[in-house]
Amino acid sequence: MRSLNQLIRDDAGTVTLNGENLRLLNKRALQRARRNIGMIFQNYNLIDALTVVENVLHGCLGRKSTLRGMLALYSADERAEAMALIGEMGLSEFAFVQCRHLSGGQKQRVGIARALMQHPQVLLCDEPIASLDPKSATLVMDILRQQADNKQLIVVVNLHQVAIARGYADHIVALNQGAKVFDGTAAALTDARVQEIYG
Amino acid sequence: MANCCDRSCLMGMYAAASLALGFNQSTLLELQTGFAWMARNFVPTGGALANLTTILYQLWRTFVIAVAAAGIAGVMSLVIAVIGAQNIGVRNAGVTWLVRGCASILRNIPIIAWALILLFSFKQNELTGFLALFLMNLGFLTRAFLETIEDFDTNKFEALTATGANKLQAICQALLPEIAVPLVEWLLYMIENNVRDATLVGLLTGTGIGFLFDLYFKSLNYPAAGLVVLTLIVLVIGLELLSNQIERRMSA
Repeated sequence: MRSLNQLIRDDAGTVTLNGENLRLLNKRALQRARRNIGMIFQNYNLIDALTVVENVLHGCLGRKSTLRGMLALYSADERAEAMALIGEMGLSEFAFVQCRHLSGGQKQRVGIARALMQHPQVLLCDEPIASLDPKSATLVMDILRQQADNKQLIVVVNLHQVAIARGYADHIVALNQGAKVFDGTAAALTDARVQEIYG
Repeated sequence: MANCCDRSCLMGMYAAASLALGFNQSTLLELQTGFAWMARNFVPTGGALANLTTILYQLWRTFVIAVAAAGIAGVMSLVIAVIGAQNIGVRNAGVTWLVRGCASILRNIPIIAWALILLFSFKQNELTGFLALFLMNLGFLTRAFLETIEDFDTNKFEALTATGANKLQAICQALLPEIAVPLVEWLLYMIENNVRDATLVGLLTGTGIGFLFDLYFKSLNYPAAGLVVLTLIVLVIGLELLSNQIERRMSA
């Protein structure tokens, strides 16, 4: 997942978004391209010392000048948008609570709101539900599916749970020990196929 | 079994050390005479209270210098530590080595040595005291902040750069909020330390509470000297209570 937005720089292959190969971009161009790619993580990677709304507002740092970003000078529109996103996630009552006080599922939703704040074309989700209980996991996957539909996002999710992948995805790429063993629609990934791949 | 060996080992070492130093065990019995003398002479009497305003004024000046030295050194140390940290900053092994080396030199020279060195250029002055404290603080705080920053989870930093933020924005929005509490703890500790060191430095520079203590002591005005010590204790305890309050509020 990290090579998709070049958080790990690999040395072969191509990652193309809107016609440009991300692997070949220099630092500044890559930074600009990353605005278009949101990412959520297994361990949420939120700033626990800050409140929910402050974390969500981090999503627009890519669009702001260095100085305004450093000093956290956000415009009224940006704040309104952040509050709206927090509302969409069902976290309105927690908007001014420090993230250290939130549960795993709530933190992941804040992470999603932060990524959506970027107005991305692509949303990368690196094991988003691995640390969550089943109820929160379903909630998060529902939100991801909803947002993908409503905002026409490309959502790339990295999961170990085959059942969940089949339940939510349009297209599935299955890997087994580093090799690609399936690349097709979710409908085509039948029980028989899964048995074949993973035994 | 091990316990018995430890005890006899300790006693053996004690006996050997006493013998080597020529330490006479009976002097231990004279401890109470020493304490009795202190109690008789050092306890502030009514007369000593006449000096209270002078003492409080000098204490205030000393405190202000302590805070100023720690504060200014703190800001500079933060910048230097961010640049020199291995996980953030320029990430050059050479730079890290240089930063750690200089910080080490600055903080390992004893404060008295700094004061003596600076006396030549700046003479007997409050500036000398401030500079001695400042230089030592710079070294100490740089090292302390380096450790704090290197403990920081870089995944959070990475998450922000993944949104398209640049390094400076990520430092201010990810690093600083997370290390704010340890940073303030170090600063408060440094201020407390400075107050203690300032008394020592004041002896040499002829300013502040250290000088006052020396003056009273040398002129055999022990009650007044005792009053100085008492006010110092009150200040340090006050600082301790204040820092506990601040830490509690920041972690809430």
